[in-house]
Amino acid sequence: MSEPIRIENLTKNFNGLRAVDSLNLLVKKKSFMGFLGPNGAGKTTTIKILTNLLTPSGGAAYLNGVDVTKDPKAALTNVGTVVETPEFYPYLTPNETLAYMGELHGMTRGDIKQRTREVLETVKMTEWTDKRIGKFSKGMKQRIAIAQALLHEPSVVILDEPTSGLDPRGMVEVREILDDLHNEDYTVLMSSHLLAEVQQVCTDVALINRGQLLRSGPVDELTASTNLRRLEIRTVHETPEVLLAKISQLGGVSGLEPLGPRDFGLSLAGGDKAQADLLTQMQNLGLKVISFKESGVALENLYMSLIKETR
Amino acid sequence: MIEITETVARSSKKTVAVAPSDVAQIGIVAKYDVLKYLRSRRLLGMVAIVVLIILLITALPPLLGESYPDGADAFMNMYAGYVALLVIVGATLFAGDAIVSEFQNRTGYLLFPKPVKRWVLLAGKFLASMAAMFLVLLVYYAIVLALGLVTTGGFSALGVESLVLAMLYSVAALSVGFLISSIMKGITGAQILTFALFLFIFTIVTGVLTLGGVEPWFVVTYSGGTIGYITQDPYPTSGPATGVGPGGMAPGGLTSSYFPDVGVAIAVMAAYALISLVLAYYFFSRREMSA
Repeated sequence: MSEPIRIENLTKNFNGLRAVDSLNLLVKKKSFMGFLGPNGAGKTTTIKILTNLLTPSGGAAYLNGVDVTKDPKAALTNVGTVVETPEFYPYLTPNETLAYMGELHGMTRGDIKQRTREVLETVKMTEWTDKRIGKFSKGMKQRIAIAQALLHEPSVVILDEPTSGLDPRGMVEVREILDDLHNEDYTVLMSSHLLAEVQQVCTDVALINRGQLLRSGPVDELTASTNLRRLEIRTVHETPEVLLAKISQLGGVSGLEPLGPRDFGLSLAGGDKAQADLLTQMQNLGLKVISFKESGVALENLYMSLIKETR
Repeated sequence: MIEITETVARSSKKTVAVAPSDVAQIGIVAKYDVLKYLRSRRLLGMVAIVVLIILLITALPPLLGESYPDGADAFMNMYAGYVALLVIVGATLFAGDAIVSEFQNRTGYLLFPKPVKRWVLLAGKFLASMAAMFLVLLVYYAIVLALGLVTTGGFSALGVESLVLAMLYSVAALSVGFLISSIMKGITGAQILTFALFLFIFTIVTGVLTLGGVEPWFVVTYSGGTIGYITQDPYPTSGPATGVGPGGMAPGGLTSSYFPDVGVAIAVMAAYALISLVLAYYFFSRREMSA
């Protein structure tokens, strides 16, 4: 029971709808786990149970070996959280907000002062320390949210779509902060829709759908195991339907779909050799290929194939 | 040119994260909720209402050509009758949104995942609302007692008893406000219901029961009437009366006058405070951040 996060047969029902269905998940120490799934998969519900915002209908969720439903105070002591872009007390400044949160965590005044400076520097909010949060933008609030999650140097950090709703600049800034976390001693569970972000930042990934775990493990292992890549092809002339039908019957090809008059996409099972062979075969069929490239990231291919399988 | 930049030296030692005791956390929550009342100017607004009420009551007799009562207790009685109204406004402002705002304003996403128990949050918030309400009452009674001392030359001991009853009534009103706040989905609805419950609903129930010849001893606003009556010497007693009593005119032209027994009123107010607070905790502890 020494794992930072352990979820056992977790179930949550909302008025007859099962949002989380006997979910089992293990997050290893000092790993950065991406928690992926389509809308309604149960990611946020799981995170809310882990953070004492929801009560499970069944099963258990442990943080540092403590059942969060039975002893939330002990379970959450060494945990930092950002759930659903929290709102702040508009009458408090970032300094005061962090002091409030730090005091609830039992930090001394000296620690609060020192760590407040550090985390506000981390999230690039040092110029706003004494301004009331009520007038802050969503991006600024998100950065303060991350700052309060890291304030007490928790061993476990739980983030629910930390870049959600941010503009491109805000997303880049938050991603830089996540990169920093990656290099430090935190164990992180982060839900996200952004697969490229997860592949870039996370060491491990867990894919869920309909409240059930589909796959989990190190990102490298999972992407290597997919053996499926998505390709986009552009041709000189419009490709006739007859020809498209022939291509769809080539070995390893699936999911062929037109993307435009001269563009189409397909999924290909196999590695580099299969990809090279496909190009040759298409050219042998008389197709004049201008562009033949892999689209999306490996994790996206795995994600899409697993989601399709469970539909 | 030398560019000077300030960098923060990272702490090398990890902060030891041990959450404080529940009692200590109650104090922390209360401290920041009092800050809320101060920064949101609710407390200031209440003090302004206090000053306005006192100014009006003090200015009216001379303006109408009447003199002030001679005795200190009678002087206090002029003001004590309005304390219940002050308590209702206070309960609306300090308790109406105390719990529901954490859900509607989404600040619960910040607070609830902290290592702090729900009952601790409730207790801290309740203490803060009590502190704010007591401060308002103390300001009111301090000014009125001082005015009485200057005007009549005497100190109203019954005024102090009235203050104690007002404090108890305010605790009961705040508890009911917290109960409403822990059940309702919206801040506005919770505040309106708290205000309407005390100003209209309880008053209507009291009136109807009185007309029916039933003493409404179990209605908290009826018990709150002791705040004013206690400053009358002697304390008025229930029974057939020739004048129109607090219960109003009974059917058939007969008047019925009921005056709450102080002991019973204290018990009723304490019961409202305790039961409402327990129920508030019951609903708050089971409420989920599902939206």
